[in-house]
Amino acid sequence: MSTMNRRNFLKIASAAAAASPFLAGASAKAAEEKHVVVIGGGVGGATFAKYLRMYAPEIKVTIIEPKKEYQRPYGSSEVIVGNVDMEEITISYDALKNKHGVNMIQDLVTEIRPDKKEVATAGGMTLTYDRLIVSPGITFDYSLIPGMQTPEAQAQIVHGWDAGNQLETLTKQLQAVPVDGTVVLVPPPNPYRCPPGPYERAGLIAQWLLNRGDKNPKVIILDPKDGFTTDVTMLQAWNRLYGMNLPKPFEKNYKPEEVATFKKYDKPGVIQWIMATEGGRVVKVDAANKIVEAEAGVFKADMITIIPPLKAGKIAIEAGLADKSGWCPVNMKTFESKIHPFIHVIGDSCIAGEMPKSGYSANSQAKVVALQVKALLNNQPLNEVVLQNTCYAKAGPNDYGMFVADVFRQNPEGVLKRAQQPRYLPFNASTAQFRLSAVYLEAWMQSFTQDIFS
Amino acid sequence: MKKTLTGAFAAALGLAAIMPTANANPEQTTNGAQSPAATMAAQTCGGCHGTLGQVKDTAFMPLAGMPTTHFVRAMEAFANGSRPSTLMGPLARSFSKEEIQAMAEYFAAIPKFNHTATK
Repeated sequence: MSTMNRRNFLKIASAAAAASPFLAGASAKAAEEKHVVVIGGGVGGATFAKYLRMYAPEIKVTIIEPKKEYQRPYGSSEVIVGNVDMEEITISYDALKNKHGVNMIQDLVTEIRPDKKEVATAGGMTLTYDRLIVSPGITFDYSLIPGMQTPEAQAQIVHGWDAGNQLETLTKQLQAVPVDGTVVLVPPPNPYRCPPGPYERAGLIAQWLLNRGDKNPKVIILDPKDGFTTDVTMLQAWNRLYGMNLPKPFEKNYKPEEVATFKKYDKPGVIQWIMATEGGRVVKVDAANKIVEAEAGVFKADMITIIPPLKAGKIAIEAGLADKSGWCPVNMKTFESKIHPFIHVIGDSCIAGEMPKSGYSANSQAKVVALQVKALLNNQPLNEVVLQNTCYAKAGPNDYGMFVADVFRQNPEGVLKRAQQPRYLPFNASTAQFRLSAVYLEAWMQSFTQDIFS
Repeated sequence: MKKTLTGAFAAALGLAAIMPTANANPEQTTNGAQSPAATMAAQTCGGCHGTLGQVKDTAFMPLAGMPTTHFVRAMEAFANGSRPSTLMGPLARSFSKEEIQAMAEYFAAIPKFNHTATK
């Protein structure tokens, strides 16, 4: 709240005059000024808005986002184990507004009208655009998990995969796990947001239980997949830290001499990773009794967290921007929708070749699209693209970090492919390398957030 | 005249649009022009090294204002392994010589950020 004097009133009045043409029914005169509307104030939308304002301050940028503040999902599993609190993952939009001149509208887009190049909001606004950026994140699809379709089941077993109150639910559930209890964690099938994330969460929970003094806790991962991003590093770490044997079917991912260096234990460790070929696929869930039935058998748990299959954000699906995969096909040079022109889909919702659905990917895509939209609006040639992704994850302890790092370019067919270079810590990385990766992980939480929102 | 203005009202009026942007347009900060190709490659560094390489952190090296030869040599050393690293080795090997040169010139032309650590 601020008090308005006459001088400010005049400023606002002239600003209103400048802004109003972007409402539907724009006058012809104002049509020369370009307007880009962004749906979603997450990593993709916020990065795009900041960078387009920086690269092309003459273009007006409006973000429409229902939430007043952003809660970052990246690194948010650390809330569950008390490494950070909710306040620490909550970020203000003030710098986007006041420093970068982004027009922030707190509202929900309910309809996209590609033929009229306008969007309508729940609050009754209609905005016209020259280019529309759709960056709505993800939705959750429980339809393929028997026993998880009811609201009751979804309230008892939560994912916490989009920050929010579910993180607090998971915190309480973890604290209620009895000594030497069992936690079952179910990662989603590909593709999904934050590929190393479910496994990092398993490690964080295992470490939390051990730190509490549990001697024989169990964290069981029931996986619909046979591998995951950072797996070769993570399994090494878990073999050292949590008494986990290397699963036989996974040995093929290492050289024989590397397999020989893994420690062997005569009983299951704290973390058990049951991959798909060993029966990890979940068949049925009894939420009320905390029982998960997988192909490998029936697991009675004290706490269950299931990250269900994911799809593109709601508005992207409703606007017909997604194909039958549930994700949005785009031209990977511009991220313009292959279905509706003048609309660019970025972040988790889009299909970006080999790029993972991660915060860094969304950030990198947003910057590329800022350059391309600037070129398109000024009738300049498009740029060849290069993108990057970096994901950090902890194995469990705070001084045990790892990463995946990739650079992406289009192949001759236009598909984004990763440069074929090493992407993980080297095999048998030293504890110093794990520790240094954890230092960078912590620093990245700050620097990455600043690159998007500051 | 005195009247209370709410944030939402101001936003609806597009008040934010009249605020000046604090960050210089990188295409205006340079002695030469920043080509879109250089910007394309250099902006990928921002997630760790800060917008325009002006990171406000103590763990990552700020790239803004780094002399061109310093940047190129560092990337070469990361790529050939003579300089130990975590993920800079893989990343340095993934960029072409031309891209590294373009990034180096891009960051050299940006003023150093007189940063203070936030943590």
